[in-house]
Amino acid sequence: MSSSPTLASRLKGRAELGVALLLGAAGALVIWDAARISTPYSQSDPVGPKTLPFIVGAMLLVCAVLLAVNVLRGGQGEAEGGEDVDLTHPADWKTVLPLAGAFILNILLIDWAGWVISGTVLFWGSVLALGSRHYIRDGIISLALALLTFYGFYLGLGIALPAGLLEGIL
Amino acid sequence: MTIVVGYVPTPEGEAALTQAIHEARKSNTRLLVINSSKGDALVDNRYAQDSDIQSIEDRLATQGIDHVIKQPVRGHDAAAEVLDAAEENNAELIVIGLRRRTPVGKLIMGSVSQRILLEADCPVLAVKAG
Amino acid sequence: MDVWSSLMDGFATALTPMNFLYAVIGVLLGTAVGVLPGLGPAMTVALLLPVTYALEPTSAFIMFAGIYYGGMYGGSTTSILLNTPGESSSVVTAIEGNKMAKAGRAAQALATAAIGSFVAGTIGTALLAVCAPVVVEFAVSLGAPSYFSIMVLALLAVTAVLGSSRLRGFASLGLGLAIGLVGLDVVTGQARLTFGVPLLADGLDIVVVAVAIFAVGEALWVAAHLRRNPLQIIPVGRPWMGKQDWKRSWKPWLRGTAYGFPFGALPAGGAEIPTFLSYVTEKRLSKHPEEFGKGAIEGVAGPEAANNAAAAGTLTPMLALGLPTNATAAVMLAAFTSYGIQPGPQLFSSQGPLVWALIASLFIGNLLLLLINLPLAPMWAKLLQIPRPYLYAGILFFATLGAYSVNLQAFDLVLLLALGALGFMMRRFGLPVLPLILGVILGPRIEKQLRQTLQLSAGDPAGLFSEPIAVVIYIIVAIILVWPFIFKLIRRNRPALATGGVATPSAPEAPSGSSAHPDLPVHSESSARPEKKETP
Repeated sequence: MSSSPTLASRLKGRAELGVALLLGAAGALVIWDAARISTPYSQSDPVGPKTLPFIVGAMLLVCAVLLAVNVLRGGQGEAEGGEDVDLTHPADWKTVLPLAGAFILNILLIDWAGWVISGTVLFWGSVLALGSRHYIRDGIISLALALLTFYGFYLGLGIALPAGLLEGIL
Repeated sequence: MTIVVGYVPTPEGEAALTQAIHEARKSNTRLLVINSSKGDALVDNRYAQDSDIQSIEDRLATQGIDHVIKQPVRGHDAAAEVLDAAEENNAELIVIGLRRRTPVGKLIMGSVSQRILLEADCPVLAVKAG
Repeated sequence: MDVWSSLMDGFATALTPMNFLYAVIGVLLGTAVGVLPGLGPAMTVALLLPVTYALEPTSAFIMFAGIYYGGMYGGSTTSILLNTPGESSSVVTAIEGNKMAKAGRAAQALATAAIGSFVAGTIGTALLAVCAPVVVEFAVSLGAPSYFSIMVLALLAVTAVLGSSRLRGFASLGLGLAIGLVGLDVVTGQARLTFGVPLLADGLDIVVVAVAIFAVGEALWVAAHLRRNPLQIIPVGRPWMGKQDWKRSWKPWLRGTAYGFPFGALPAGGAEIPTFLSYVTEKRLSKHPEEFGKGAIEGVAGPEAANNAAAAGTLTPMLALGLPTNATAAVMLAAFTSYGIQPGPQLFSSQGPLVWALIASLFIGNLLLLLINLPLAPMWAKLLQIPRPYLYAGILFFATLGAYSVNLQAFDLVLLLALGALGFMMRRFGLPVLPLILGVILGPRIEKQLRQTLQLSAGDPAGLFSEPIAVVIYIIVAIILVWPFIFKLIRRNRPALATGGVATPSAPEAPSGSSAHPDLPVHSESSARPEKKETP
């Protein structure tokens, strides 16, 4: 009944099916993982560690199927609005991807270069990604924030964030 | 030929607009009102409200001045928008309002008027409020 | 000890200079994040969790309480001045509030919102102080089967009743429960969903999950959909009210409180339904019905009071049963856990001083909020001019910092990003985030109760129904679950009623709703309302 052109047209603009796929995968994963656990039945714990995973996994699978059906029938999740959210234009990947980039750079740098450097990069990169063009002013603010939090955490909370490359200087 | 006026809903901005209207009537030229916002904050008090724009529109219409009002929101600062507009329209004059600023404030924030004065290719008329 | 003397002790604790300072910080922060776009109290408390590990739990919770109430005040300021309600509970406030502001009565709208919030918050907190011990007394007599059933009810109710799509709610709940499963099983020590990664053995830190979902997900989501046009704020002076305004406000305040508290205290009440009911009631009772839709002060006073009373009500199940029903309460509950404090009916006896200091600080915070909001409203409105890049970069910066500082391992940041991406996706496709957070927090506790229950009955599932209260609650659960199908049936049999049922709820929102309020999510309101209205 669903020959390939109709299927293709049905799939078009249904990115939400990806959500159903994700739910299904998560459900399968949870069940697979639980099935792998082997515990002898114990009088003191009749439920065991597998019961809830099976329930959760089944619930995710059911949701995945129902969601897929719902989406194919034309159902649509309502994107979340907000004070500063304008849903009239599509997602702006030119902002989001650089933001994620700055975030990943921070993950890669933090243990090696230390928080002061990675945090500066994170804030500066994010501000840039979000469209500010005051490169120097932003750089100074970023560095100040990173330094301030570094010392604030160390002196105020006793948490030593990694100093990394600047070990000995800070 | 065109006269470009940088408008903001403040006394300085009003003074600039009044002066610009005066100039436009005198030389019978087109008036281009620029009220821009960088659009980088949820609220921008320098971005005129619809009612404001409407009253300017009415004022210019009753005085019989050929005019265009623009409110660009493109992430550029006010100086860039005014300079752009002046260049594009081959302006004969730019009118801006000046506000009093402390040296420190100028140092931190920079000055829109200063940039326009330095970079404009045409005469700039700077007015102070009341 | 009776309520009164406990409460007085609480005041003594909350008024020590240090704790008072944290209350002040809390209300200032709370108001600020309430006003600022894209930030909310839940996110703020989540971001502050790691920072507060070094604090005394009492001080930390006093600050959280300030943030919780402060966010409410700040939120109403923006919805009145900008007509951009940040939360669904302030949608109704925005309807009349923004109209008043446009008609030059912003000062009165802000005043009636602030004073109404104070009145409702104070009464609500007093009711909390009186009700919570009663609920506790009842709850400590419950066994594992009843407690299990109550937790199931809370989870299902929040999932099924709030939000516009139950299917998506349950999907979100499932994801949350799955995240809650990660780690070593407490009873048998079996690794679940760890995939051999030793860093996952301790489970996902709730701080990391909460920060990822509330802060990173939100920041990315807003970044993808930034408003391009600056909004126009309505200039405002110091809020004040004339004699006539007082006369028209005090009754709505009290009625709003009466709606708000019980709904907030219910497992799935929330603040949305009572604010709406309050609006409808005020419209019906008003001597000036013609003003509704054009800026009637009653339409601000009532819903705003209902909103704050609901906030106080929400703390009743949170403190007395360990059941959070809104995002901020959920994160506060997570905070209890991360301090090693076991939430639940024992909380009042094991952490009495802390709980009473928290309640006392709610009274104090309320008064502080009134004092800082009435004269300083124009200053708070200035916060809206902060350039966005700094705002959202700041959220990401502090999210990273907070998540990293918990365990000082970069791996947590990888989780943060992955879960942040999940949060982004959920916002994109309309999966509500609250069920997920509740699943993560309550999942492990539900499992514990389930195992205890069946241990008592030696594995016989009948043990689940061994207490009468449990049976009653399962019946309620069944009704909640089956209700929409019954509703559909009724609708099919009586088509006339169906159209009426959908049309009426949206009618009072505003006659010219869609054109006048492009920002109001009226559609979600009306589509979800028919099933919600009947549940209580």
